[in-house]
Amino acid sequence: MAESLSARNIVKRYGGVVALSDGNLDVHAREVVALIGANGSGKSTMSKVINGVVVLDGGQLLLDGQTVHFPSPQAAKNAGIATVFQELSLIPQMTVAENIWLTREPLNSFGQVDRKAVKARTEELLALFEGTYKTGLHPDASIASLPPDEKQIIEILKAISFDPWLVILDEATASLDSRQVNRLFELVTKWKLQGKAIVFVSHRMEEIFRIADKYSVLRNGKSVGAGNIQDINEKQLVKLMIEKESVLGFLRGEAKSEENLEQEIALEVQNLDNDGLRGVNFQIRKGELVGIGGLRGQGQRHLLHSLFGDIPYSGTIKLFNQEVHFKHPRDAMRSGFALVPGDRAKEGLLYIRSILDNLLLPSWRRFGLPLKVAQAKKEATQVGSSLNLKMAGLEEPVSSLSGGNAQKVVIGKWLMRNPQILLLDDPTKGVDVGTKAEFYALLTRLASEEGKTILLYSSDDEELIGLCDRVLVLYDGMIHTELSGNTLTKENLIAASLGASQGGTE
Amino acid sequence: MKQSRWDALVARQPALFALVLLVSCIVINLILQPNMLARDTLNSNMRVFLPIILMAVGQAIVILGGGIDISVGAVVSIVNTVLATRVGLDGSPEEMWRYVFISLLIGLLAGAINGFFIAYLRLQPIITTYATSFLYAGMALFILPNPGGGIPQEVAALYRNSTPLNLPLAFYVIAAVLLIWLYLSSTRYGNFLYAVGGKAEAAYETAVPVNWVRFSTYLISGLMAAFSGIAITMLSGSGNADIGGPMTLNSITAVVIGGNAFSGGVGGVAGPLMGAITLGIIQNIISFANIDTWWETLVKATIIVMALAAPGIVNLFRRGRP
Repeated sequence: MAESLSARNIVKRYGGVVALSDGNLDVHAREVVALIGANGSGKSTMSKVINGVVVLDGGQLLLDGQTVHFPSPQAAKNAGIATVFQELSLIPQMTVAENIWLTREPLNSFGQVDRKAVKARTEELLALFEGTYKTGLHPDASIASLPPDEKQIIEILKAISFDPWLVILDEATASLDSRQVNRLFELVTKWKLQGKAIVFVSHRMEEIFRIADKYSVLRNGKSVGAGNIQDINEKQLVKLMIEKESVLGFLRGEAKSEENLEQEIALEVQNLDNDGLRGVNFQIRKGELVGIGGLRGQGQRHLLHSLFGDIPYSGTIKLFNQEVHFKHPRDAMRSGFALVPGDRAKEGLLYIRSILDNLLLPSWRRFGLPLKVAQAKKEATQVGSSLNLKMAGLEEPVSSLSGGNAQKVVIGKWLMRNPQILLLDDPTKGVDVGTKAEFYALLTRLASEEGKTILLYSSDDEELIGLCDRVLVLYDGMIHTELSGNTLTKENLIAASLGASQGGTE
Repeated sequence: MKQSRWDALVARQPALFALVLLVSCIVINLILQPNMLARDTLNSNMRVFLPIILMAVGQAIVILGGGIDISVGAVVSIVNTVLATRVGLDGSPEEMWRYVFISLLIGLLAGAINGFFIAYLRLQPIITTYATSFLYAGMALFILPNPGGGIPQEVAALYRNSTPLNLPLAFYVIAAVLLIWLYLSSTRYGNFLYAVGGKAEAAYETAVPVNWVRFSTYLISGLMAAFSGIAITMLSGSGNADIGGPMTLNSITAVVIGGNAFSGGVGGVAGPLMGAITLGIIQNIISFANIDTWWETLVKATIIVMALAAPGIVNLFRRGRP
């Protein structure tokens, strides 16, 4: 087993874009290094350089002090380096067992895959996360049929299955629930004792301080700091990640909910029901910023998409006391709704099209026929600069933007329509700290100054508590609890997410 | 999310639909032609079906790997014209076997050209093989501008009339192909094929040799097209540069009927094999039912369009449900 891996002055360019200009990382056996940085800072590129998925343009990799080249993933794998990819590297059409052992299938003497051995070894691996599965996960289950968290677990098991000495966990906890994260951390501790090294890439501060021994911070493709995790605190770490600290404070004023009581009711929902919801009732006043909480997949997506006319439902939805029943997102848009969907790559953006095209997509009609391009560009530029959108130009494709900036385009395209009701599905997922702070300021401004009504689902509890007037906690397709004011605390939010009643029983 | 029983069954057995269709077609054919299963009738049917069966097997492997090969018909034409002009009606059997070997090399070469463009230069499979199909068809026309030539009578007779153990020769060929596939699919290569067809990017990150696997699928389809060309030459006994062209669409139809996903990564070889036989039987039914032959094209086209549309239509209905 190797003892250390060092990356020195790594340079990586994608076409004209410099992803890494001076990337450095030192990993030793028996330690966990947290690789930290805002989106677009080069974290993913750094892991891809180490695991051979991309070939570096400059700098060097040292394995136990010797220069090494990884021209392909195979080469890195042979050197004992395994990766848990953020965009999973699983083949959906194949089974759990086939995926875990792909390229390393045990063979019999005729060169055939020894299916019995594959199954037995898969069961051993599955036992590592025993008790955290929601489905009866078995080696022959097809990947496509699994929920996201179990896919993520299979990706982890696949990485660990060839007993590597270095494991790169790239946002591996993003879709896991707290029990699964705990189990993963127990395993990481065990792997450390076995002499493995772990590179932990994450946005979640709490997890970084829980598991990491060392940290290494990237900013705009450069390494800007590294050291022992004991020697630094959360605030200093964030400061390293972003150049400006000023955008951080996002808490709204204390007396936030009182003034709303005089406002009219903007949105009223009664008995909303479909295959993901079971009788949801609530009201939101104009200018309110209401959060939706709860564990992932408890009906949050169904609620937002039902309101947007995207999935059928039964029940009543009233908009400013007028009953509406949207059969198509088009109807919802006309009534002033906007939806920022959860998967911006698939549902929110046309990646290969330009920023301008994306911003204009919902509102091109407004610019007439023939298209008033100059006018459209002017408005798009205004929206872009009001959102502090960092781009090379409006004509650049959205794919050239980092995650946070791409999300700004999704929000921007709706702001061009001046919507009255904003529905947001986990808009800060995979967005860096700096951009998050900008979003918080934006949402607060939209609600309190411009009188927009906002319904926000977030998987980040801190965000809901800091940002929202009220939080509706969904559990199993129903509103389990409504939290506001003094009751809106982290303890209550977590308890309600887990389905606990006020008395603390099931 | 919730999968119905039927979905689960189809997911596990993509060839099931092909089997049902094949059995129904056999039953209809038996009603129209009661002596269909007699040895000689069976043999005369199977020897006609064999070329398209061989081609469909190669096509199935390319499609499993996420590609498509539109040049297979033109490869058949080259092989056919080479055999018919180089061996000749009065050639010796030894000469014939020598050129059979050369034909196989031609098939591999044609496949290697396709594979090089697609796997290593990353060109679009459908465009690339469409273009090379004209290249290969042009070569066939260059070799034999007008139909003619031939192969020795005795070699043709061997193909047409051999019925070892009272079973058509084609049965043995099919059994051999299935056995080879059964072995191949149980090896690591088999897994690579499904992985590349399923999600090539993920396969690459898992250190699957994606380019090599893609390249190999075109080699296999070129080789199978050459076998197909040899079979059809022995069946017809003469040369015609246009002989392979119409076979391409049939091979793709057979794969689709066989339950393989057009997008790759799902299916096998048994399904497309049954699909190819089904296509042949449909042709029989049409001729025995005294239906005009132009119906054949219409029926085949309807099958392929339906097979392509089916998953979309199913999704459409699912979306409609709350």
